[in-house]
Amino acid sequence: MIEIIFITVITLVIFFFPKIGLFFRWKVLQEKTERILIEDALKHLYDCEDKKVDCTLKSLAGALSLSDEKILHLIAQLETMQLVFTKENTFHLTSEGRSYALRIIRIHRLWERYLADSTGVQEIEWHTQAEKREHQLSIEEAERLAKEMGNPIVDPHGDPIPTVSGEIPKKKGMVLTEVKEKETVQIIHIEDEPKTVYAQLIAQGLHPEMQITIIENSPERIRFEANGEECILAPIFANNISVIPIPEEKIQRTFKTLAAISLGEKAKILGIAKSCRGSQRRRLMDFGITPGTIIEAEFQSAGGDPIAYNVRGALVALRKKQAEQIYIEDELKTEERMSDIVSKKRH
Amino acid sequence: MKTEKENTVKEILSTAHSLRWEIGENVHDSLIESIYNDASRIANTVVRKDEKKSQFNLDRTIDKIVTSRWLGFPLMFFLLAIVFWLTVEGANVPSGLLASLLIDTLHPILKNFAETLHTPWWLSGVLLDGAYLAMAWVVSVMLPPMAIFFPLFTLLEDFGYLPRVAFNMDNLFRKAGAHGKQALTMSMGFGCNAAGVIAARIIDSPRERLIAIITNNFSLCNGRWPTQILVATIFIGSAAPAYLAGVISAAAVVGIAVLGIALSLIVSWWLSKTILKGEASAFSLELPPYRPPRILQTLYTSLIDRTIFVLWRAIIFAVPAGIIIWLVGNIYIGNLSLAEHFVQWSNPFGIFLGLNGVILLAYIIAIPANEIVIPTILMLTVMVIGATDVGAGAGVMFELDSPSEVAKVLHAGGWTLLTGINLMLFSLLHNPCSTTIFTIYKETRSWKWTAVATFLPIVMGFAVCFVTAQLWKLFI
Repeated sequence: MIEIIFITVITLVIFFFPKIGLFFRWKVLQEKTERILIEDALKHLYDCEDKKVDCTLKSLAGALSLSDEKILHLIAQLETMQLVFTKENTFHLTSEGRSYALRIIRIHRLWERYLADSTGVQEIEWHTQAEKREHQLSIEEAERLAKEMGNPIVDPHGDPIPTVSGEIPKKKGMVLTEVKEKETVQIIHIEDEPKTVYAQLIAQGLHPEMQITIIENSPERIRFEANGEECILAPIFANNISVIPIPEEKIQRTFKTLAAISLGEKAKILGIAKSCRGSQRRRLMDFGITPGTIIEAEFQSAGGDPIAYNVRGALVALRKKQAEQIYIEDELKTEERMSDIVSKKRH
Repeated sequence: MKTEKENTVKEILSTAHSLRWEIGENVHDSLIESIYNDASRIANTVVRKDEKKSQFNLDRTIDKIVTSRWLGFPLMFFLLAIVFWLTVEGANVPSGLLASLLIDTLHPILKNFAETLHTPWWLSGVLLDGAYLAMAWVVSVMLPPMAIFFPLFTLLEDFGYLPRVAFNMDNLFRKAGAHGKQALTMSMGFGCNAAGVIAARIIDSPRERLIAIITNNFSLCNGRWPTQILVATIFIGSAAPAYLAGVISAAAVVGIAVLGIALSLIVSWWLSKTILKGEASAFSLELPPYRPPRILQTLYTSLIDRTIFVLWRAIIFAVPAGIIIWLVGNIYIGNLSLAEHFVQWSNPFGIFLGLNGVILLAYIIAIPANEIVIPTILMLTVMVIGATDVGAGAGVMFELDSPSEVAKVLHAGGWTLLTGINLMLFSLLHNPCSTTIFTIYKETRSWKWTAVATFLPIVMGFAVCFVTAQLWKLFI
């Protein structure tokens, strides 16, 4: 009796042990159908080309987590399809191969953009879900998606979305580790792979279009100020962030948000944080929360959290979390202050 | 010449393409910004503002009171209590009048008329005892409270007070992953769940709207209050000392309603964390200026839009239900009617859950309207125990004049205090009525969410009843 139970338990463990059980391995294998393998290989090749590194048997085997033998088989197949050619043990894309790869990248980035703007899917999930979806959407479906979203040009990580004809602008910017101390730069891209690194970066609240000022740049660590808060990253993490220098006049000096003003106070809006996207961003703009608008905190709810703000004569309730995403100018300019005082005296 | 032209076109197109990357992601933001700037510039030049604002701003003064930390919530509960009290008190008399007119007077007249025409007994049974009675019941129980509740609610809305309720309640609902406006759809659900589901249109964020729709059923609707009050009086009130009976049974009913509110918050939280995690979410809440309510217009629209609309849907569903109720009571297989067959078959399962077969059958055939659950239970109980001195015949729903008479019938049917408590719980936690289910489908256009909204509460109901029954057996 005991033997039977023992054997059953062992079998169950072998089959259903999370991730490495036979059942799950079989499932993973099933998912990696031929088409997916081809498309993933092309994407890796494009990535190598983009980063100007050689694509070898080892790198491909690593990226696709397949044995060398299988990779060789795959490469042979890609060569007969005239998508790839081999030169001195490194693999290169043909022009057809490149446009195929760009098509997949387009779908991937469109889908990420869709997830970011039109769903509540968590940031950390965007990439993983898009990895699956890129193989399932047809070209027509992808075009419909693009049209629905108003033909976006960049994905939520700041990467340009290739056009239908496969055009994509040259990569610009530099990695964060190359920036000198005391310089202010703007994030244009955050690499979403590997996932653990990306999770760390978004946990720090970093996102494209954010301005950061480097405080310290040493081989051990990079210390910088982002949105008025200090962040520290190891260079290996900072390497996943691309930035561009910004002109002096565009540097945002203050990072005071609407959440900081108290009841009865007025503030001038600077803008809405980039992390507020999709319909939530549109809603705020529809209320007239645009740069230059004067906003006044009127009263708070009995529960304490939403606060009613006066925007252009209308009362709008904003939660604390939303108010934290709206930047305001530190001080009202003197003339506005004066006119405020004058109008109060008149009362 | 032609090639030159083509070249220029190509050049322009390629410049346009490359410029596309230059405009950046912010183009939509800049667009909205410039529209607002233009609009405000125009407004500033052509609209004259009254510079001398009066020192006393009535709107702000009201706002400061209704949203104040100490007065905000008491004021809200007070106003809602008044609305409910007016609804319950005000509906009693017209409900009684309608019942005596439609059921006690018109029904016998119709029956007599059918007899003079020599209508076969089964035809007059199906049409008059089945379809007509079910419809009459729904109308007399449903119409008066709705005709009072909805206009009152709409008046508060029109005045501008309801958005302030949403504003005050948002903190609590935010913690449950929902929208403050759900406080309003929930209150609306106390009148009628179908109306509550429709009211969820005011929530424009997809995720929060679905949460409000799916959890609306946890608001104890108008059709279920009479069941709660009756069962509480018979079983819980009678278990308490006589001088406390009224208070305790009332407390039990309120307790069930509060349990419903608590469950709707818990389920909202759970939904937002699990199956609705991926839906888009955006919070927005405007606080319109206060206005004197337009009473006549409100009366008209709330009667047409809400009352008549919901009532019509209820009638459409009640008529076939009445027919089925009559048929299961009158179609015989062997010595027993269909109803008796089902009750016998499902009784062990019902007892297992701390209910019984009659309750299960009643909730199945009375899906169209919660109002007819008690009449159906009475009819079925009388049929199953074979009592001949009460009731109006097989398949004919009826109600008794006093709770003590109902108690007699139910005790004879083998009901205990546990059955009573579990019926109250099950009345809170079971599938929405078919009107509401249909409305949920119409509002969400999704079978998936309709199925979730339908089966989630019933699974919860079975689980809660089962646990209660087991605890009961353990301790009592």
